[in-house]
Amino acid sequence: MAPSRLTAQVAGVNGKTALRFLLRAFGAAILVLVIWRVTTVGLAEGYPASFWISQALNGLVLGGVYALVALGYTLVYGILFMINFAHGEVMMIGGIAGFFALQFSQARGWLEGPWPVVVVALLLIMLFGMAASVLIGVTLERLAYRPLRQAPRLVPLISAIGASLFLQYSVLLIFGVSPHSYRKPALISGGMRMGDVFIPYTGAIIFVTSILLMLALYFIIQRTKLGRAMRAVAEDRATASLMGVDVNAVIVITFMLGSALAGAAGVMLGFHNTVVKFNSGFVPGLKAFTAAVLGGIGNIPGAMFGALILGLIEAIGPSALGIPTEYKDVIAFTLLVLILIFRPSGLFGEVLSEKKA
Amino acid sequence: MTPIRANGAIRNGLIAFAFLGYLILIGIPGRIGGAALPVLALVAALFFWVRLRRDASGTDGSFPQTASPTGKPGWEIGAPGHTVSQEQVMPLPGAGGALAIRSGLLAGITTGLLIAIVSFAFASAIGSGASIQPVLDKIVPVNVAALIGVSPGQIANDEVPTLRYLLLVLIFTAAGLLAALAVVAARVRNPQKAPVARLSKSLDSQLYRTVARFTGILLPFLLLAYIAWLGIPGVSAFGSNEGTVRLLLTLIATGSGLFALRLVRPGREQNVVAPLLALGALTMPFILDQFQNSVMGLVFIFVMMGLGLNIVVGYAGLLDLGYVAFFAIGAYTYAFLSAPFSSPYISSLLNLLAISPEIPLLGYWTALPVAMLTAAIGGILLGIPVLRLRGDYLAIVTLGFGEIIRLFMLNLGELTNGPRGILEISQPGLFGLAPQSFSSGFLSSQGWIFLLALISSALVAFVAIRLNDSRLGRAWFAMQEDEDVAEATGVHLVRTKLLAFAIGATFAGMAGQLYASRQINIFPENFSLFVSIDALALIIVGGIGSPAGIVLGALALKGLPEVLRGVDEYRIVTFAALLVIMMIVRPAGILPSARRRTQVAAPDEQALTPGAEEPVAKELDGDTARQAQAASPQSEAVRDKEDQ
Repeated sequence: MAPSRLTAQVAGVNGKTALRFLLRAFGAAILVLVIWRVTTVGLAEGYPASFWISQALNGLVLGGVYALVALGYTLVYGILFMINFAHGEVMMIGGIAGFFALQFSQARGWLEGPWPVVVVALLLIMLFGMAASVLIGVTLERLAYRPLRQAPRLVPLISAIGASLFLQYSVLLIFGVSPHSYRKPALISGGMRMGDVFIPYTGAIIFVTSILLMLALYFIIQRTKLGRAMRAVAEDRATASLMGVDVNAVIVITFMLGSALAGAAGVMLGFHNTVVKFNSGFVPGLKAFTAAVLGGIGNIPGAMFGALILGLIEAIGPSALGIPTEYKDVIAFTLLVLILIFRPSGLFGEVLSEKKA
Repeated sequence: MTPIRANGAIRNGLIAFAFLGYLILIGIPGRIGGAALPVLALVAALFFWVRLRRDASGTDGSFPQTASPTGKPGWEIGAPGHTVSQEQVMPLPGAGGALAIRSGLLAGITTGLLIAIVSFAFASAIGSGASIQPVLDKIVPVNVAALIGVSPGQIANDEVPTLRYLLLVLIFTAAGLLAALAVVAARVRNPQKAPVARLSKSLDSQLYRTVARFTGILLPFLLLAYIAWLGIPGVSAFGSNEGTVRLLLTLIATGSGLFALRLVRPGREQNVVAPLLALGALTMPFILDQFQNSVMGLVFIFVMMGLGLNIVVGYAGLLDLGYVAFFAIGAYTYAFLSAPFSSPYISSLLNLLAISPEIPLLGYWTALPVAMLTAAIGGILLGIPVLRLRGDYLAIVTLGFGEIIRLFMLNLGELTNGPRGILEISQPGLFGLAPQSFSSGFLSSQGWIFLLALISSALVAFVAIRLNDSRLGRAWFAMQEDEDVAEATGVHLVRTKLLAFAIGATFAGMAGQLYASRQINIFPENFSLFVSIDALALIIVGGIGSPAGIVLGALALKGLPEVLRGVDEYRIVTFAALLVIMMIVRPAGILPSARRRTQVAAPDEQALTPGAEEPVAKELDGDTARQAQAASPQSEAVRDKEDQ
């Protein structure tokens, strides 16, 4: 028996070393390829600086939206250790609700009025989208996740995939296949020009709004009693409940906060992309998840910065690598794989992908 | 016993209203037409019945909130801790019966009133000419009209009789009453046991068992004979629905064949029945027509997919959501090798190898190893980067990979012809015979594909089962349980994981090749994420890790929708809901694998979970035990052992 046990140990050690070696080699190959492409193709194209700046600004806007969605993933993961796969769909429903609110206010001419009226109307549209998302998010938690809270972890994940498909195709059945187009009110449809760089008003508004929402969330989590309860539940659910924290209520509120942010993101993404349809939440949802992983999932500032970085990479990447923009999703997913190989903890987080996953 | 309170009843009514409102929104009443109201009322009655029964017995279908030793749940499906903490089912006393009836009535009235009010609001809005929203204008009038039982024109002219709304309320109230009466009647007649359990107990004699067993074994043969008889020209039993009915019968026959295989005793009986069943399956392509054969072909292509994915997900425990990538690789490889389309890349490669680009290059059989090998290489290449990932992360990354492959197929126009796809892929021949020469008379062209799919999936199933029992299978199982422990006991993680990915991919490549020759023309949108989701859903619905369950899952998920062609648009919504419900009610699947059942009944694991033994102790306790079985594979394992 002794020799075989020894062989086993050796095999195990070899396994781990070989694994590490393979992964390193794979990642290094991709890094070399990227550097080679950037230096030989991307930089050789000779775009002007203003091009890069406007691309970067575009990326920051997109990053702001991703950040709002990524926060939802991170909040839920921090407390329940599950990936809310349907979070992108919660965002999409916010966008759809926002579309109807927009139509409603356009039909009543609110968006052609004086600017305070327009601002209030836009705020109301966003609030309506957020409310719809909160409703869906809480329902989702109640029906699809709460019964599975003690189940093995594959079970809620599959349930979440089912919920995601269910939401997408319910929206398809109710509102049809064709995209709903957001018509921007005249007040925010223009933009300002700084030198060679053009900044659309919507972009600026989206970025500022998402930063404000993130600050609000940060304040709630760090400075309020509710935030303390959330942090306590994330730390240790059993102990928190012994200390008098209503764990169920905290989980519901977490879903509400995440869904509200996602709803706001859905409305803003509607204004940014000008259309929203039944599957428009799926890819942004995946991107936001990538952003959350990039920043270290479960880590709130990490999600914010990760999303901004992802937005930048996605906006600049295709031109820098000299490849068509259709491949920007490929870049995002490749980035996800690279992070998980080289720094599974994300840029700011603790190691999770192997320990807790 | 939990007393049924009024607010509980109103809550039930509200939930029923929300659910029915959803059904109305997705356009069910408009589709059913005149019978919409009774059907919806029946749905409501069913819902009330479930809720009232649950309220009366004081149990809910959720997982018990017991803390596991580590505080964090483990990974495997159907693990310990999956038992519902059962309270003793209490008989409803007389007062309880009155309560139940009152509560059923209250719930029914709530639902009926709400639906009546909402449909009245919509109807009068439409009647007065107000446009609600462009989208809702399309779906609302038809559905509201079907619900109230008038024509859309009557609504538009605002001439709906008020009596209709009253009828609506009355019908839903009656539904509530019906549900309550059903609950009370079941309790009054026999307070301890539900009718089904009683029935099965009274018939639990040796004779009954034997008769049931032989009926079960004979059923597939009888069905097959009936299908064959229906296929004789001139025989028509179902008129214009002939094809659909025959397809449904075929699906049932195949499913009952699986159950027959489970019913036979091992030994001589099995040695006789199993070959006969195989023979019966092989005659199916000859007696079905083109339509049924094409559906069954697709079903068995997905059986191959499911078996391959089962190796990755069920055996090795690696949740792969990008499985469609290998399916696509197999299909495209065969397409490159056999279709007239030639990409500049491929032709330059051929020039390099000094082969003249004659078309079609390779036949089905010579291309088969190439397609399998390409898919296996794809599996290894995609497997390497995700070696270190587990669980959720693995799922998301593989999903990303699937999307990347699809994006490449869509955008690499020179290699894959982009969205225009690859056309005129050649059909499989046999020993140099052209496919047309023998697929005309007694075997249709789709029948030939079905026959191939049947034989290949049997081979794949054989390989998969043998692999599962092999040293490698045990290594996969150990890895699924705990990677670190598996490594410490000498499992080479890299090799084991990559083998799982590669073998799973090989099967998907085979399936993809057959799929390409079935479709003749393939396009990137044939290989969307939904192929992965379908494959995953079918192994989960059927029972993860169990080949018979996978066939059953494929029959249910790919075959049934073809029978229900009229409601095809509700397919994905239904299966998505089914996924969620399956996870809550029966996470181990319809036909769970033996290993999973024994795994959850292992004594040392039982010791870890308090309450795990309860359902076993109450095994024959009628209602309780049946509910426990629905939720926990554990008690089932015990029951199965007793059967043998």
